[in-house]
Amino acid sequence: MTPLDRSIPPEGGEIRDFVFPPVDRRTLPTGLDLRVARVSRFPVVSANLFFRAGEEALSGGAAGLAVLTGDALEGGTRRRSGTELAEALERIGARLGVSTGWEGTSVSLSCLAARFDAGLALLAETVLAPGFPEAEVARARDQQLAGIRQGLMDPASLASDEAARRTFAPGVPYARRQEGTLASVGPLGRDHLRGFADGYYRPGRGALVVVGDVDADEMEELASACFGAWTGEPPASNGFGVEPRTRERRVWVVDRPGSVQSEIRVSHVGVSRADPDAFPLTVLNTLLGGAFTSRLNLNLRERNGFTYGVRSRFSMRGRPGSFQVHTAVGTEVTAPAVREILAELEALVSGGPTSEEVEASRDYIAGIFPLRLESVGQVAARITDQVVYGLDDDYHATYRDRIRAVTLESAWEAGRSHVRPGEAQIVVVGAAATVAPALEGLGVGPVEVVAPAED
Amino acid sequence: MPKSVGATPRGTPILSVPFEQRSLSNGLRVVLSHDPAVPVVAVNLWYGVGSRNEPEGRTGFAHLFEHMMFQGSLNVPKNRHFELVERAGGTLNATTWFDRTNYFETVPSHHLELALWLESDRMGWMLPAMDRDKLDNQRDVVKNEKLQRYDNQPYGDWSERLQRLVYPREHPYHHTVIGSMDDLDAATLDDVASFFRTYYVPDNAVLTVAGDFDPARVMDQVERYFGEIPPGGALPPIPGNPELEPLLGSTVRDDVVADVPLPRAIMAFRIPPYDDPGFTTAEVACAVLGTGRASRLYRRLVRERRAAKDVVSYAYPLLSGASMLLVWATGYPGASVTELEAALGEEMEGLADAAEEEVERAVAVLETDLVRSLEQVGERADLLSMFELFFSDPGRLNREVDQLRGVSASDVRRFAAERLGPANRAVVTYRPGGGS
Repeated sequence: MTPLDRSIPPEGGEIRDFVFPPVDRRTLPTGLDLRVARVSRFPVVSANLFFRAGEEALSGGAAGLAVLTGDALEGGTRRRSGTELAEALERIGARLGVSTGWEGTSVSLSCLAARFDAGLALLAETVLAPGFPEAEVARARDQQLAGIRQGLMDPASLASDEAARRTFAPGVPYARRQEGTLASVGPLGRDHLRGFADGYYRPGRGALVVVGDVDADEMEELASACFGAWTGEPPASNGFGVEPRTRERRVWVVDRPGSVQSEIRVSHVGVSRADPDAFPLTVLNTLLGGAFTSRLNLNLRERNGFTYGVRSRFSMRGRPGSFQVHTAVGTEVTAPAVREILAELEALVSGGPTSEEVEASRDYIAGIFPLRLESVGQVAARITDQVVYGLDDDYHATYRDRIRAVTLESAWEAGRSHVRPGEAQIVVVGAAATVAPALEGLGVGPVEVVAPAED
Repeated sequence: MPKSVGATPRGTPILSVPFEQRSLSNGLRVVLSHDPAVPVVAVNLWYGVGSRNEPEGRTGFAHLFEHMMFQGSLNVPKNRHFELVERAGGTLNATTWFDRTNYFETVPSHHLELALWLESDRMGWMLPAMDRDKLDNQRDVVKNEKLQRYDNQPYGDWSERLQRLVYPREHPYHHTVIGSMDDLDAATLDDVASFFRTYYVPDNAVLTVAGDFDPARVMDQVERYFGEIPPGGALPPIPGNPELEPLLGSTVRDDVVADVPLPRAIMAFRIPPYDDPGFTTAEVACAVLGTGRASRLYRRLVRERRAAKDVVSYAYPLLSGASMLLVWATGYPGASVTELEAALGEEMEGLADAAEEEVERAVAVLETDLVRSLEQVGERADLLSMFELFFSDPGRLNREVDQLRGVSASDVRRFAAERLGPANRAVVTYRPGGGS
């Protein structure tokens, strides 16, 4: 062995290949899309049942109904009370979770492989035969209302809500909170939930994803037994467009007197998952604000000590979500932090990334890819993404190649189209008496102080 | 497919994480756990130092020091540690807690040596890279962390209030890990140097390498990077007095009126320390109370009585004197926090009639959660480091499930009767009001 020279970082050894687990895809006679990946390292299984019962299907007046319907599933089935259902799951050590997003609802199950058949039967009963008992629905609704009240006093939630409202045009679902408002959720009762589930809890355009120590043929048999009677299509999407609320840069200060920090969001409309620029933007955002050593974090945290951390992100959905920079900084450095964020965005657009940065970002994204696919739950989540966003079957298999194909030119070109600091809506939640005058002094756009939303 | 339904019979082994224990001549303890299934390797270091080791006037220093460990070392300039690991396609972080501080990287396996080089350079040669600017910068970062996570949050001071009630003034858990702004301001470069020389020594650390590595070469690689770091001297005693009465002796309380959205009642109880066999009983009791939707607090307070919007239970695994079992319940708008506290207290005492099937369910859920956590190589490495540092026994990981299964309903009942009554209760309540 050669003597160790500590001044030089060790070279990497020989790289080992990583293969995304192959996905066996088949369609049950009822139309249910079944996707199975065998991963046998640990005796655990994860399943996701995804169906298109999302918040984007609802108008503002019914905002929060999809979330409430999903959360009320644990209230029991036609055969079991909520407590009996929970006991049946926990007796076999199973974890059942429901998460509702814009595109749909995902019911996930994880348990030891030896108990998976019992677990899947309980998942099916939960979704196909919900009981929605009056008292449990009222309880879930009151929990959702109380959660909204908590958000109204939480500075980070206030900032994200205000940024959404200022970024997207009225009528675009993404402009509002997924959980709805006190006014939209307050009147909801079991009939609303039952009606929504009857229409939208349908297998069409959804899927059942199973990952773990399982066999695809056996899964087909099990899924047929559990979901054999489940048919139908949810109503077609209402096909909304995503428009910005304005293209004029403005500063919105949400007054929260007594705040010792300011929550900052700098935001505008971004791109969809299917956008041809999605991969170049993923690389570009990594060097801008997607990693610890990104430009924004090195500036605001490591050089200036303004914050514990700052990140930027493109929320790529079925439709364009937002591009957003988010951070929390000391009250007295709020204006300098906003100035630095805008300066970094402008410098990136005008000067472009360096080839060293692009290379480092590609290596980072491609390298961490297998690190985030160690557990069956992580693999199931990625396969579910393919269903939700309609991604190609080879999307994950070719993901790293597509990242590595991004060049300095393609990243910069994408940045010039999709990073637009001149159109950003700047939201600051903090002590307005201190921060508003300082933000005025920056001269980056009209400053308006607004009261926190009341519902 | 196996068609059996119901709990796995007792004694069925479901876990066998392979491991080997080694050590270097400088006292560094090494745990190796080989698993080539995914081309990923975790490098994980636990140092036997945490907030309990902080002297008077330096609360928060162990955590500030952890930040300084990322500011470079003799051969690694500022920011280079992060740059190199991210460039390699790896993830990294560190955390500070009461009894320990851990540092970890997970990297594609062909970059194992990079992680060993980075960790060894700062274990051996951190001080030459330290300067006042770096300390001032990270002091600002940490103060912003405190503002963001505690001071600017509704209920953000709950842990500070609770620790003061459960642990007396002279006990090392009386103060929080994040510490006070004044103490953070007081920290000096001399403090950094003396903390480093005292605690950041190979004989006060455990290194675990888990995942995909070459079993024939790995010890040579570890020796090459860590072997020449000199051992430290004797560790000073933990400041203050870690000895504690097992019970609080009465109900102690702190009633707060604050700008919070909903009423919340928080309770904590002294329980046996982590290295006492009684801790496992506390862990199971804690799961019977609050893990899952069939648990007692959820079923009774959230579902049936609709007294709480949410409930939480957690058993802190702590080593000095006594651990702490924590529960809280958040009430609905307008609810009386006094009634909420009374309802929570009733359920805690009510656990003295815990049934066998409740305990079996709780154990089944804990079992699944443990197996799931082990899917990630970083988590496996972290647990092996912990069991080696705290108990010199990484094999305890493979016995965890059996230990949990060994807890009976009568153990839980006895624990509840002894520990969860008003004679061992610390209470913090938050009532909305005041405003700003």
